[in-house]
Amino acid sequence: MAYLVRLAIGVLLMAATAVSPQSGDKGPVFTNDGSLVLPSGFRSWVFIGGPITPNGLNDGGAPFPEFHSVYIERENLRYYQKNGKFPEGTVLVKELALAQVGAHPDGSLDSASGRGYFPSTLNGLDVMVKDSKRYSKTNDWGFFTFGHHAEPYESAAKESPQCAYCHIASVAKTDMVWVQYYPLLKSKID
Amino acid sequence: MRKILLVVILGLGVAAASSLSRYSNPVAADSSQTTAVFDSDGKMKLPVGYRRWVFIGAPLTPNALNNGKANFPEYHHVYVEQKNLDAYLKTGAFPEGTVIVKELTRVLNPAFPDGSRSEPSGRGYFNGEYNGMDVTVKDSKRFAATNGWGFFNFGHHPLPYAESAKEASVAECAGCHMSFVAKTDMTWVQFYPILRDGDKTK
Repeated sequence: MAYLVRLAIGVLLMAATAVSPQSGDKGPVFTNDGSLVLPSGFRSWVFIGGPITPNGLNDGGAPFPEFHSVYIERENLRYYQKNGKFPEGTVLVKELALAQVGAHPDGSLDSASGRGYFPSTLNGLDVMVKDSKRYSKTNDWGFFTFGHHAEPYESAAKESPQCAYCHIASVAKTDMVWVQYYPLLKSKID
Repeated sequence: MRKILLVVILGLGVAAASSLSRYSNPVAADSSQTTAVFDSDGKMKLPVGYRRWVFIGAPLTPNALNNGKANFPEYHHVYVEQKNLDAYLKTGAFPEGTVIVKELTRVLNPAFPDGSRSEPSGRGYFNGEYNGMDVTVKDSKRFAATNGWGFFNFGHHPLPYAESAKEASVAECAGCHMSFVAKTDMTWVQFYPILRDGDKTK
Protein backbone atom coordinates (compact mmCIF):
# COMPACT_ATOMS: atom_id res chain seq x y z
CA MET A 1 0.00 0.00 0.00
CA ALA A 2 2.74 2.42 1.02
CA TYR A 3 4.58 1.21 -2.07
CA LEU A 4 1.64 2.18 -4.28
CA VAL A 5 1.44 5.64 -2.71
CA ARG A 6 5.17 6.15 -3.34
CA LEU A 7 4.71 4.91 -6.91
CA ALA A 8 1.88 7.38 -7.50
CA ILE A 9 3.97 10.24 -6.08
CA GLY A 10 6.90 9.13 -8.20
CA VAL A 11 4.84 9.16 -11.39
CA LEU A 12 3.61 12.67 -10.60
CA LEU A 13 7.15 13.91 -9.80
CA MET A 14 8.50 12.48 -13.04
CA ALA A 15 5.75 14.22 -14.98
CA ALA A 16 6.51 17.53 -13.23
CA THR A 17 10.27 17.19 -13.82
CA ALA A 18 9.77 16.43 -17.49
CA VAL A 19 7.93 19.68 -18.22
CA SER A 20 9.98 22.05 -16.03
CA PRO A 21 12.61 24.17 -17.82
CA GLN A 22 16.28 23.45 -17.31
CA SER A 23 16.93 25.79 -14.43
CA GLY A 24 20.69 25.63 -15.02
CA ASP A 25 20.25 27.57 -18.26
CA LYS A 26 18.16 30.41 -16.82
CA GLY A 27 19.51 33.83 -16.03
CA PRO A 28 23.00 35.03 -15.14
CA VAL A 29 25.10 33.32 -12.45
CA PHE A 30 27.68 35.37 -10.53
CA THR A 31 30.59 34.43 -8.31
CA ASN A 32 30.98 36.04 -4.85
CA ASP A 33 33.26 38.74 -6.28
CA GLY A 34 30.77 39.75 -8.99
CA SER A 35 32.33 37.87 -11.88
CA LEU A 36 29.90 36.32 -14.35
CA VAL A 37 30.04 32.54 -14.70
CA LEU A 38 30.36 31.30 -18.31
CA PRO A 39 26.77 30.75 -19.52
CA SER A 40 25.83 27.17 -20.39
CA GLY A 41 23.32 25.80 -22.85
CA PHE A 42 23.21 29.00 -24.89
CA ARG A 43 23.51 27.19 -28.22
CA SER A 44 20.02 25.85 -27.54
CA TRP A 45 18.67 29.39 -27.10
CA VAL A 46 17.20 31.31 -30.03
CA PHE A 47 19.74 32.53 -32.59
CA ILE A 48 18.77 36.04 -33.68
CA GLY A 49 21.45 36.93 -36.21
CA GLY A 50 25.08 36.73 -37.17
CA PRO A 51 27.05 39.82 -38.22
CA ILE A 52 30.41 39.03 -39.78
CA THR A 53 33.41 41.33 -39.68
CA PRO A 54 36.10 39.43 -41.63
CA ASN A 55 39.73 40.02 -40.66
CA GLY A 56 40.37 40.52 -44.38
CA LEU A 57 38.17 43.64 -44.38
CA ASN A 58 39.56 44.99 -41.10
CA ASP A 59 43.31 45.38 -41.65
CA GLY A 60 43.92 41.74 -40.76
CA GLY A 61 42.51 42.00 -37.23
CA ALA A 62 38.81 42.62 -36.65
CA PRO A 63 37.90 43.73 -33.10
CA PHE A 64 35.46 40.80 -33.00
CA PRO A 65 36.88 38.01 -35.19
CA GLU A 66 34.89 37.18 -37.28
CA PHE A 67 31.36 35.67 -37.24
CA HIS A 68 29.21 36.99 -34.36
CA SER A 69 26.41 34.52 -33.57
CA VAL A 70 23.97 36.12 -31.13
CA TYR A 71 21.69 34.08 -28.86
CA ILE A 72 18.87 34.97 -26.46
CA GLU A 73 16.51 32.92 -24.34
CA ARG A 74 13.10 32.56 -25.95
CA GLU A 75 11.03 34.21 -23.21
CA ASN A 76 13.28 37.28 -23.32
CA LEU A 77 12.96 37.47 -27.10
CA ARG A 78 9.16 37.25 -26.83
CA TYR A 79 9.19 40.00 -24.17
CA TYR A 80 11.30 42.21 -26.44
CA GLN A 81 9.02 41.61 -29.41
CA LYS A 82 6.03 42.61 -27.28
CA ASN A 83 7.50 45.54 -25.35
CA GLY A 84 10.41 46.87 -27.42
CA LYS A 85 12.86 46.39 -24.56
CA PHE A 86 14.57 43.51 -22.81
CA PRO A 87 13.38 42.37 -19.37
CA GLU A 88 15.58 42.51 -16.25
CA GLY A 89 17.90 39.51 -16.11
CA THR A 90 18.19 39.16 -19.90
CA VAL A 91 21.43 37.54 -21.01
CA LEU A 92 22.65 38.10 -24.57
CA VAL A 93 25.44 35.82 -25.76
CA LYS A 94 27.63 36.64 -28.75
CA GLU A 95 29.77 33.70 -29.79
CA LEU A 96 32.53 34.33 -32.31
CA ALA A 97 33.73 31.98 -35.03
CA LEU A 98 36.63 32.40 -37.42
CA ALA A 99 36.00 32.29 -41.15
CA GLN A 100 37.56 29.64 -43.36
CA VAL A 101 40.64 31.12 -45.00
CA GLY A 102 39.94 31.83 -48.64
CA ALA A 103 42.19 32.70 -51.56
CA HIS A 104 40.76 36.17 -52.23
CA PRO A 105 42.45 39.29 -50.78
CA ASP A 106 39.36 40.00 -48.67
CA GLY A 107 39.64 36.53 -47.14
CA SER A 108 36.58 35.19 -48.91
CA LEU A 109 36.45 31.61 -50.16
CA ASP A 110 35.13 30.02 -53.34
CA SER A 111 32.73 27.25 -52.39
CA ALA A 112 30.13 25.16 -54.18
CA SER A 113 27.42 27.59 -53.04
CA GLY A 114 29.35 30.66 -54.20
CA ARG A 115 32.03 33.08 -53.07
CA GLY A 116 31.72 34.24 -49.51
CA TYR A 117 32.53 33.59 -45.88
CA PHE A 118 32.09 30.24 -44.14
CA PRO A 119 32.55 29.51 -40.42
CA SER A 120 35.52 27.41 -39.30
CA THR A 121 36.36 27.19 -35.57
CA LEU A 122 34.60 28.82 -32.64
CA ASN A 123 36.63 31.78 -31.41
CA GLY A 124 35.32 33.44 -28.27
CA LEU A 125 32.40 34.66 -26.26
CA ASP A 126 31.08 38.06 -25.17
CA VAL A 127 28.04 38.45 -22.93
CA MET A 128 25.67 41.24 -21.90
CA VAL A 129 23.48 41.09 -18.80
CA LYS A 130 20.63 43.49 -18.08
CA ASP A 131 20.44 44.43 -14.40
CA SER A 132 19.42 48.01 -13.71
CA LYS A 133 20.66 47.95 -10.10
CA ARG A 134 23.98 46.22 -10.60
CA TYR A 135 24.86 48.12 -13.80
CA SER A 136 23.11 51.46 -13.34
CA LYS A 137 26.34 53.27 -14.36
CA THR A 138 26.36 51.69 -17.82
CA ASN A 139 22.75 52.14 -18.88
CA ASP A 140 21.51 49.00 -17.05
CA TRP A 141 23.72 46.52 -18.87
CA GLY A 142 26.89 44.72 -17.75
CA PHE A 143 29.47 43.60 -20.31
CA PHE A 144 31.74 40.57 -20.08
CA THR A 145 34.28 38.92 -22.34
CA PHE A 146 35.28 35.29 -21.87
CA GLY A 147 38.14 35.60 -24.34
CA HIS A 148 38.50 35.97 -28.10
CA HIS A 149 40.13 32.65 -28.81
CA ALA A 150 39.31 28.99 -29.41
CA GLU A 151 37.59 26.94 -26.73
CA PRO A 152 37.85 26.49 -23.83
CA TYR A 153 36.67 29.99 -22.87
CA GLU A 154 37.33 31.48 -19.42
CA SER A 155 35.13 29.91 -16.75
CA ALA A 156 34.26 33.34 -15.29
CA ALA A 157 34.75 36.97 -16.38
CA LYS A 158 34.96 40.29 -14.58
CA GLU A 159 32.85 43.19 -15.81
CA SER A 160 34.39 45.04 -18.79
CA PRO A 161 32.85 48.52 -18.52
CA GLN A 162 34.97 49.74 -21.47
CA CYS A 163 32.62 47.75 -23.76
CA ALA A 164 29.71 49.89 -22.63
CA TYR A 165 31.01 53.14 -24.11
CA CYS A 166 30.47 52.16 -27.72
CA HIS A 167 26.99 50.84 -26.92
CA ILE A 168 26.11 54.04 -25.01
CA ALA A 169 27.44 56.20 -27.86
CA SER A 170 25.65 54.31 -30.64
CA VAL A 171 22.59 52.44 -29.36
CA ALA A 172 21.54 53.88 -26.00
CA LYS A 173 18.05 54.54 -27.39
CA THR A 174 17.48 50.92 -28.46
CA ASP A 175 18.24 49.26 -25.10
CA MET A 176 21.99 49.17 -25.83
CA VAL A 177 21.59 46.70 -28.70
CA TRP A 178 22.07 47.20 -32.47
CA VAL A 179 18.57 45.88 -33.07
CA GLN A 180 18.80 46.75 -36.75
CA TYR A 181 21.16 43.77 -37.32
CA TYR A 182 18.72 41.16 -36.02
CA PRO A 183 15.69 40.26 -38.13
CA LEU A 184 13.93 38.52 -35.23
CA LEU A 185 14.12 41.64 -33.05
CA LYS A 186 12.70 43.79 -35.83
CA SER A 187 9.74 41.48 -36.48
CA LYS A 188 7.07 39.92 -34.32
CA ILE A 189 7.50 36.50 -35.91
CA ASP A 190 8.25 33.38 -33.92
CA MET B 1 -8.05 1.34 -1.71
CA ARG B 2 -5.28 -0.61 -3.41
CA LYS B 3 -7.51 -1.05 -6.46
CA ILE B 4 -8.36 2.65 -6.54
CA LEU B 5 -4.67 3.60 -6.47
CA LEU B 6 -3.87 1.16 -9.25
CA VAL B 7 -6.66 2.68 -11.34
CA VAL B 8 -5.30 6.18 -10.60
CA ILE B 9 -1.77 5.16 -11.66
CA LEU B 10 -3.03 3.51 -14.83
CA GLY B 11 -5.14 6.57 -15.55
CA LEU B 12 -2.10 8.82 -15.24
CA GLY B 13 -0.23 6.63 -17.67
CA VAL B 14 -3.04 6.67 -20.21
CA ALA B 15 -3.43 10.44 -19.87
CA ALA B 16 0.31 10.95 -20.40
CA ALA B 17 0.31 8.66 -23.43
CA SER B 18 -2.68 10.37 -25.03
CA SER B 19 -1.24 13.84 -24.47
CA LEU B 20 2.00 12.73 -26.13
CA SER B 21 0.16 11.20 -29.09
CA ARG B 22 -1.36 14.58 -29.86
CA TYR B 23 2.08 15.70 -30.96
CA SER B 24 2.68 12.85 -33.36
CA ASN B 25 1.37 13.46 -36.85
CA PRO B 26 -0.42 10.67 -38.74
CA VAL B 27 0.97 11.82 -42.11
CA ALA B 28 4.55 12.26 -40.94
CA ALA B 29 7.37 10.68 -42.94
CA ASP B 30 8.34 7.04 -42.53
CA SER B 31 10.32 7.64 -39.36
CA SER B 32 8.14 8.28 -36.33
CA GLN B 33 10.80 10.69 -35.06
CA THR B 34 10.53 13.27 -37.82
CA THR B 35 8.87 16.67 -37.87
CA ALA B 36 8.65 16.54 -41.68
CA VAL B 37 5.05 16.51 -42.92
CA PHE B 38 4.09 15.56 -46.46
CA ASP B 39 0.75 15.92 -48.22
CA SER B 40 -0.81 13.20 -50.35
CA ASP B 41 1.09 14.48 -53.44
CA GLY B 42 4.42 14.07 -51.65
CA LYS B 43 4.87 17.82 -51.22
CA MET B 44 6.53 18.87 -47.99
CA LYS B 45 4.76 21.34 -45.74
CA LEU B 46 6.66 24.43 -44.60
CA PRO B 47 8.40 23.55 -41.31
CA VAL B 48 7.31 25.49 -38.23
CA GLY B 49 9.18 26.43 -35.08
CA TYR B 50 12.59 25.97 -36.67
CA ARG B 51 13.99 29.26 -35.34
CA ARG B 52 13.81 27.58 -31.91
CA TRP B 53 15.92 24.67 -33.09
CA VAL B 54 19.69 24.69 -32.64
CA PHE B 55 21.47 27.14 -34.92
CA ILE B 56 24.66 25.49 -36.19
CA GLY B 57 26.21 28.10 -38.48
CA ALA B 58 25.72 30.75 -41.14
CA PRO B 59 27.68 30.74 -44.39
CA LEU B 60 27.43 34.02 -46.26
CA THR B 61 27.51 34.36 -50.03
CA PRO B 62 26.88 38.07 -50.73
CA ASN B 63 25.30 38.95 -54.07
CA ALA B 64 28.05 41.51 -54.59
CA LEU B 65 30.73 38.77 -54.52
CA ASN B 66 28.73 36.58 -56.92
CA ASN B 67 28.17 38.72 -60.01
CA GLY B 68 25.19 40.39 -58.38
CA LYS B 69 23.23 37.20 -57.94
CA ALA B 70 24.26 34.50 -55.45
CA ASN B 71 22.60 31.11 -55.84
CA PHE B 72 21.56 31.39 -52.20
CA PRO B 73 21.09 35.10 -51.40
CA GLU B 74 22.80 35.85 -49.08
CA TYR B 75 23.17 34.65 -45.44
CA HIS B 76 22.40 30.94 -44.90
CA HIS B 77 21.17 30.34 -41.33
CA VAL B 78 21.16 26.61 -40.68
CA TYR B 79 19.04 24.94 -37.98
CA VAL B 80 18.68 21.36 -36.76
CA GLU B 81 16.64 19.89 -33.92
CA GLN B 82 18.52 19.24 -30.67
CA LYS B 83 17.82 15.48 -30.66
CA ASN B 84 19.18 15.09 -34.20
CA LEU B 85 22.25 17.20 -33.42
CA ASP B 86 22.89 15.06 -30.33
CA ALA B 87 22.56 11.89 -32.41
CA TYR B 88 24.94 13.29 -35.03
CA LEU B 89 27.54 14.17 -32.42
CA LYS B 90 27.28 10.67 -30.97
CA THR B 91 27.29 8.64 -34.18
CA GLY B 92 28.64 10.90 -36.96
CA ALA B 93 25.45 10.48 -38.98
CA PHE B 94 22.06 12.16 -38.90
CA PRO B 95 19.20 9.85 -37.85
CA GLU B 96 16.33 8.96 -40.16
CA GLY B 97 13.76 11.74 -40.21
CA THR B 98 16.26 14.54 -39.61
CA VAL B 99 15.12 17.89 -41.00
CA ILE B 100 17.76 20.55 -41.70
CA VAL B 101 16.46 24.06 -42.38
CA LYS B 102 18.49 26.71 -44.17
CA GLU B 103 16.85 30.12 -43.89
CA LEU B 104 18.26 32.91 -46.05
CA THR B 105 18.55 36.58 -45.18
CA ARG B 106 19.76 39.48 -47.27
CA VAL B 107 22.68 41.60 -46.07
CA LEU B 108 21.90 44.98 -44.56
CA ASN B 109 22.19 48.02 -46.87
CA PRO B 110 25.45 47.46 -48.80
CA ALA B 111 27.78 50.49 -48.86
CA PHE B 112 30.95 49.15 -50.54
CA PRO B 113 31.17 47.47 -53.97
CA ASP B 114 31.66 44.09 -52.23
CA GLY B 115 28.33 44.51 -50.43
CA SER B 116 29.85 45.21 -47.03
CA ARG B 117 29.31 48.26 -44.84
CA SER B 118 31.12 49.91 -41.94
CA GLU B 119 29.62 49.68 -38.48
CA PRO B 120 31.10 50.37 -35.02
CA SER B 121 32.20 46.72 -34.72
CA GLY B 122 34.11 46.89 -38.02
CA ARG B 123 33.60 46.54 -41.73
CA GLY B 124 31.59 43.54 -42.75
CA TYR B 125 28.14 42.13 -43.33
CA PHE B 126 25.05 42.34 -41.16
CA ASN B 127 21.71 40.58 -41.44
CA GLY B 128 18.98 42.29 -43.43
CA GLU B 129 15.54 40.85 -44.12
CA TYR B 130 14.61 37.18 -44.24
CA ASN B 131 14.84 35.98 -47.82
CA GLY B 132 13.81 32.36 -48.27
CA MET B 133 14.11 28.80 -47.12
CA ASP B 134 15.58 25.50 -48.28
CA VAL B 135 15.07 22.24 -46.42
CA THR B 136 16.63 18.79 -46.51
CA VAL B 137 14.95 15.70 -45.05
CA LYS B 138 16.68 12.39 -44.39
CA ASP B 139 14.52 9.42 -45.35
CA SER B 140 16.45 6.57 -46.89
CA LYS B 141 13.34 4.90 -48.36
CA ARG B 142 11.53 7.93 -49.75
CA PHE B 143 14.70 9.54 -51.10
CA ALA B 144 16.76 6.46 -51.95
CA ALA B 145 17.59 7.88 -55.39
CA THR B 146 19.38 10.90 -53.88
CA ASN B 147 21.54 9.30 -51.21
CA GLY B 148 18.82 9.21 -48.56
CA TRP B 149 18.03 12.94 -48.52
CA GLY B 150 15.19 14.92 -50.11
CA PHE B 151 15.62 18.59 -51.02
CA PHE B 152 12.90 21.26 -50.93
CA ASN B 153 12.90 24.94 -51.86
CA PHE B 154 10.20 27.14 -50.29
CA GLY B 155 11.26 30.17 -52.32
CA HIS B 156 14.18 32.56 -52.31
CA HIS B 157 12.26 35.74 -51.48
CA PRO B 158 11.00 37.69 -48.44
CA LEU B 159 8.34 36.28 -46.10
CA PRO B 160 5.88 34.67 -46.48
CA TYR B 161 7.47 31.55 -47.95
CA ALA B 162 5.60 28.90 -49.96
CA GLU B 163 3.26 26.80 -47.79
CA SER B 164 4.47 23.59 -49.40
CA ALA B 165 7.16 22.50 -51.82
CA LYS B 166 7.63 19.55 -54.13
CA GLU B 167 10.91 17.67 -54.10
CA ALA B 168 13.54 19.65 -55.98
CA SER B 169 15.17 18.03 -59.00
CA VAL B 170 18.59 16.41 -58.77
CA ALA B 171 19.99 19.20 -60.94
CA GLU B 172 18.68 21.89 -58.59
CA CYS B 173 19.98 20.55 -55.26
CA ALA B 174 20.91 16.92 -54.70
CA GLY B 175 23.41 16.74 -57.56
CA CYS B 176 25.78 19.22 -55.96
CA HIS B 177 25.50 17.58 -52.52
CA MET B 178 26.15 14.15 -54.07
CA SER B 179 29.21 15.48 -55.94
CA PHE B 180 30.81 17.23 -52.99
CA VAL B 181 29.63 15.85 -49.66
CA ALA B 182 28.27 12.34 -50.23
CA LYS B 183 30.78 11.00 -47.69
CA THR B 184 29.71 13.36 -44.89
CA ASP B 185 25.99 12.55 -44.90
CA MET B 186 25.31 15.02 -47.73
CA THR B 187 26.18 18.02 -45.53
CA TRP B 188 29.12 20.45 -45.65
CA VAL B 189 29.96 19.62 -42.03
CA GLN B 190 33.20 21.60 -42.24
CA PHE B 191 31.20 24.86 -42.30
CA TYR B 192 29.45 24.14 -38.99
CA PRO B 193 31.72 24.40 -35.95
CA ILE B 194 29.41 22.46 -33.65
CA LEU B 195 29.05 19.56 -36.10
CA ARG B 196 32.79 19.45 -36.52
CA ASP B 197 33.97 20.05 -32.97
CA GLY B 198 30.93 19.28 -30.79
CA ASP B 199 29.28 21.46 -28.15
CA LYS B 200 31.95 21.70 -25.47
CA THR B 201 29.96 24.06 -23.26
CA LYS B 202 27.35 21.45 -22.42
